[in-house]
Parts: sequence; structure tokens; C-alpha cells
Amino acid sequence: MKTASIRSIRFIIFIALAIIAILALYPLIYMAFSSMKPTLEYIKHPMAPPQTWYFDNFQALIYRFSLVRLFGNTILYVGLSMVACLLISIPAAYSFAKLKYRFRNEFYVVMIATMTIPGVTFIIPNYLLMSKIGWTDHIVSVVVIWAVSAVPSTVFLLTSLMRGMPDEVLEAIKMDGAKYYQAMTKIILPMSLPGVVTVSIFNATNWWNDLLTPLIYLQSDNLKTVTVAVATVLNRFSSDYPLLLSGLLLASLPPIAIYIIFQGYIRKGLVVGAVK
Amino acid sequence: MSLKQERWVGLLSLLPAFVLLAIFVGYPMFNTFFHSFTKWDGVTSVFVGWDNFRNILSNGDLPLMLRNNLIFLISVPGILLISLTVSVLLHEEVKGWRFFRSVYYLPAILSSVVIGFLAKSMFTNRGVVNTLLEKVGLGHFTVDWLNTVPTEFMILILCFYWQTLGQGTLIFLSGLSSISNELFDAAKIDGTSWRQRLFYIVIPSLYPAIFYFTIVNVIYVFVGLFGLVYSITGGGPGYETTPIDYMIYIQAFKSGNMGYASALSVFLFFIVMFITWIQLKISKRLEQ
Repeated sequence: MKTASIRSIRFIIFIALAIIAILALYPLIYMAFSSMKPTLEYIKHPMAPPQTWYFDNFQALIYRFSLVRLFGNTILYVGLSMVACLLISIPAAYSFAKLKYRFRNEFYVVMIATMTIPGVTFIIPNYLLMSKIGWTDHIVSVVVIWAVSAVPSTVFLLTSLMRGMPDEVLEAIKMDGAKYYQAMTKIILPMSLPGVVTVSIFNATNWWNDLLTPLIYLQSDNLKTVTVAVATVLNRFSSDYPLLLSGLLLASLPPIAIYIIFQGYIRKGLVVGAVK
Repeated sequence: MSLKQERWVGLLSLLPAFVLLAIFVGYPMFNTFFHSFTKWDGVTSVFVGWDNFRNILSNGDLPLMLRNNLIFLISVPGILLISLTVSVLLHEEVKGWRFFRSVYYLPAILSSVVIGFLAKSMFTNRGVVNTLLEKVGLGHFTVDWLNTVPTEFMILILCFYWQTLGQGTLIFLSGLSSISNELFDAAKIDGTSWRQRLFYIVIPSLYPAIFYFTIVNVIYVFVGLFGLVYSITGGGPGYETTPIDYMIYIQAFKSGNMGYASALSVFLFFIVMFITWIQLKISKRLEQ
């Protein structure tokens, strides 16, 4: 009797969770369905699955809106930003986590405090600074802004993970008289690799999805990122919803792929701030 | 490595990060503070004292923007409750719970632009939402969702919830899994009911996670709504759905009122600092 009621409660919970999952997934399914419909079919039957395999929307995106180029742009900007951000952040995080010197904690507090400054408070002067040195409408502006503004949170996450590295190993290489960069490349970097992967996943998806920064700094259509192009160029054809939705779908594929591959890392990274 | 060497290595490792932050965060911030007292079109700036701030307070935009931010602010407890409920249900570990957990986080990985335009296309006059309503016989509930202010807010908040559910669920689940099993079993042996365990063990031990989630999302509704507003309403009609951060974008990059926009940024800066201050106060209390 008891087990029967527990079983039925668990079944009700399962149904509730399944309904929420359908609600969460439906818009994505709708997006995928709509991207394979001609405009007329989309208007007539917005809910139904597509009647035929129809790829003209994607072809239009590739040929008329040079999608390959947009993807290339975005991958290039994200890749460069990632390298730049890590080059700046890893030594700083190691220094905060494991080296001992005066005012270390004070510096750390300043670094973490910059995390709370809202991005909009420095976007106007930065835009003018970039246009003064002629970097607007140039990839450098986006890469620099992305990389630098991600430094505080990257350092924060890496520092809290590097604190867990065993001191004995570090002491041992210090005793061996290994040079700083040797220690860095042979021990510190390999040991903190999971953290580096986690933080890079978060940064990369944030950058891929970012609208404001590339929207403001890049004006030419051939320099735009996928996200900005979908929001601006495709929006000019906003009555053609299947075309827009195909663009949205393609813009979402890389983040979804990253999520499917690196789920575990994302779950761990997300709670670092929460449990601290 | 001697202590002296260690100090130099330590400080030199910090140098690039701090130099770049000074150039691209520190300097611009002071610049913004300075220009909030000027009339500024990006080229020439004229000192006008407190005029921008007086303007903000008197031209009627501020109550409207604050109202808009406030609407999003009071929507935060809603998603908090939903995420809490969902994570408590997930924690029962019924069949397929891992799959559900993955599905719930999927929207969080997408751009606000994707979320926004997707929702917009679903809520058009002949979109799926109205079609569905007609099909299930609720045809008289069909509304022109994107053209009245209350329903526009509803769509914006719906998108915000859709984006945030996964984040909340993951944070609370990790909090739940840190509750020790002994405590739970002891409570069970003492004959406590499921509801008592929920209110006396589960919820109290989730306080830090609840607090963290709330702060992150309160800050988000002040500084993170740009993408959603841009793609769904564009801030309109008029400024009816324009929160502060979107107004800064409009004033600076659409109208060229950079002085006024700077003053708004300063205003927003202090709002966020105030929230952070409250966070520090409360988290000290929680630690005790």
C-alpha cells in the first residue's frame, strides 16, 4: 500500500518534469521545423511539422548572406579573445592563488570588485577611444574589449580552482630550481586544465552570443558576427520568418554543440560562485 | 625561489591584467563620471554641472525606466520559486531526471537574440501561440501580443524565465546534493513528514544558494536585458518597455546625447553598487 502510493507520487513527479521539459524544448523544435518550410507553408501551418525536406532557407543564408564568412569571423574573434584572455588571466590567477607577497589580498579585492561594474558604464568612452585610434570597424576592438572585460571573472574562477592544487608538487619544483615559465608550462598549466576548459567554455559561449559589443564596434556587414548579423541584417527581412528562424537555428548550433560536449564542465563551473 | 623573487614574480604576473583593466575599465569609468557633468556629442563637451542629472529627474523618463526595471525586478521571485520547485522535484531522482536536467539548461546556452526573436515569431498575430489558442477552442483569447504594453512585458519576462530556469535548477540541485544523508535519515527515523523535512532541513540549507541566485538575477535585470529588449520590443512603443541599460544605448548611440547617457550610466552604476553592498551585508550575516 505504502509503496504503491510512493510509486504514484513518483509517477506524478515524472509527468510534471516531462511537461516542463516539453515547454522548454518546444520553441527549439518549432525553430527547427520552421526553418525547413517555405514562407507560404509557414503562414498556413505554423505548428505542423514541415511537409517536405526544404533547404532553400539555408541556401539563401549561405549564398545571399555569406554565412560562411560570418561564421569564420565569429570563430576568429572568439578564438583570439580566448587566447588573449587566458594569457592575461592564468599568470594572475596563479599569482593570487599560490605566491606570497604583500598586498596580495588587496590586489585580489580590487580585481574582484571590477567584476561588479556594469559594462555599460564604460562602453561610451571605450567606443570613443577606439574610434580615436582607428580601431572601430576593425576586429581588434571587439577582441580587446571581449578579452579584457572577461579577465576579472576568469581570474576569479581560476584562482578559486588553483587554490586546491597541492602545495607539495609546487614546492618540489621550486626546490629543483625550475624557472617560472618551466613550472608554468610543465606543472601549473596541465594541473589547472579542467578549470581553464570550464572558464573558456563560459567565455566562448558568452562571446558567441554577445550582441552589444560587436553591434557597437563593427559597422561593416562583412565584419559582423553571426549573432549581430541575425539581429540586424536578417531582421531587415523580418516578414520572412522562416528565413529569420533558419538564421537563429544556425547561430544556435555552435553553443548547443558546446553544451552537449561539455555539459559536465558547465555544471561544475556554474556552481563555483554559488558554493564558494 | 627566494621570497624576494617570489614577490617580483607575483607582482609581474598581475601587471598585464591590471594595466589593461586600467585602460579599458578604470579610465573609461572616470571618463564617464566626468562627462556626466557635460553636454557631449562625442567630439566636443561643454561643462553643464548637474544639468544632466536634473534632466533625468525632471523629464519624466526616469519614473518610466524605473517602472520598467521594477517590473522585471518583481518577476525575479517567480523564477526563484519555479526553479526551487523544479529542483526539489528533480532531486527525487525519478526516471530520466538527468535528461530533464540537461533539457532545462539548454535554453540558457542560447543568445538572448535567439531567444528574443524566437519568442517574437511565436507571438505574432498569425503565429503559433494564437493558432494553438484557436485550435483548442480559446479563440477569443487571441491577442495582438506584440502591440500592447502588458503582453510585451509578459513575453519579455517569459523569455527571461526560459533563459534562467536551467541556471536556477543547477544551482539549487548542487545545494540539495550537499545536504548530508545522515541528517535526512535521522529526521526520517524521528518520524518527520516530507513537508517538515522540506521546511526545516531542505530550504534552510539552501539559503546561500537562494541568496546567490537572487543577487545574480537582480543585477541581471538591471544590466543584462539589452539583448531581449533589442530583439523583442526595441524598447517601444515610445519608451514603454525601455529599461535603463537600453536607454543608455539609445541615448548614446542613436541620439548622440553622450553626456546624458553618461549621467544615466553613473545612475545605473550606483544602483548596482547598492545591490552589491546589500549582498555583502547579507552574506556576512549568513556566514555567522
